[in-house]
Amino acid sequence: MNMPASTAANAYANAAKMFEDASKSTGLETKVEGPSFTSVLEDTVGNLTKTGEKSDQNLIAMTQGKADIIDVVTAVAETELTVQALVSVRDRVITAYQEVLRMPV
Amino acid sequence: MELIGSIKIAASGLRAQTGRMRIIAENLANANSTANTKGGDPYRRRIPTFQSVFDKEVGGTVVKQGRIKFDQTPFSLSYKPGHPAANDKGYVKEPNVNSLIELTDMRQAQRGYESNLNLIKASRRMLSATIEILRA
Repeated sequence: MNMPASTAANAYANAAKMFEDASKSTGLETKVEGPSFTSVLEDTVGNLTKTGEKSDQNLIAMTQGKADIIDVVTAVAETELTVQALVSVRDRVITAYQEVLRMPV
Repeated sequence: MELIGSIKIAASGLRAQTGRMRIIAENLANANSTANTKGGDPYRRRIPTFQSVFDKEVGGTVVKQGRIKFDQTPFSLSYKPGHPAANDKGYVKEPNVNSLIELTDMRQAQRGYESNLNLIKASRRMLSATIEILRA
């Protein structure tokens, strides 16, 4: 599994900037406390890449007869759960965004 | 995540039981390994030991395999005058492995492995069910 962690985060950052510009021109300001969604996304995707790499290394080592099957199973389970969580969050965010798009203006 | 930690701790249990199985296999395979020198000592039964170690990365106490010890029960003697390992009186020292005990140990290791596997399965199910809430 090899994906640049920054791609998704960059795309989101661009979208967020557009939102900000739009809200400035309309005079509507949105203030959010705590970490931004971009940073949360970045963290999660970075974490996913790391655990994915680990499970990949384990798989390769196992096919070469070097690693323990137990290590492979735990690493793959961890990656699977991280992917599940990330995909669920992404789906929720996209649903929310589509909801906004469908709003009659 | 806390549950991933418990998966890792259970994985250490799996590893410990695998090591134990290996030692039981050694004992069973060598149940008849006598010495090949006159009056020499035969195979001595090995006993696995487990240690609980605090793992910083997991944040909990995992189990590690400790040093392998030797069973100190005396060897039984059997009368085989023609055997190359027989002593002056014609007795051969047999290994102190009791296959009945080894088989019971094996079953115990098997059950320990199974319970750790069940813990991994249950933790995964709990985590998946929690993530599932997001999808509804």
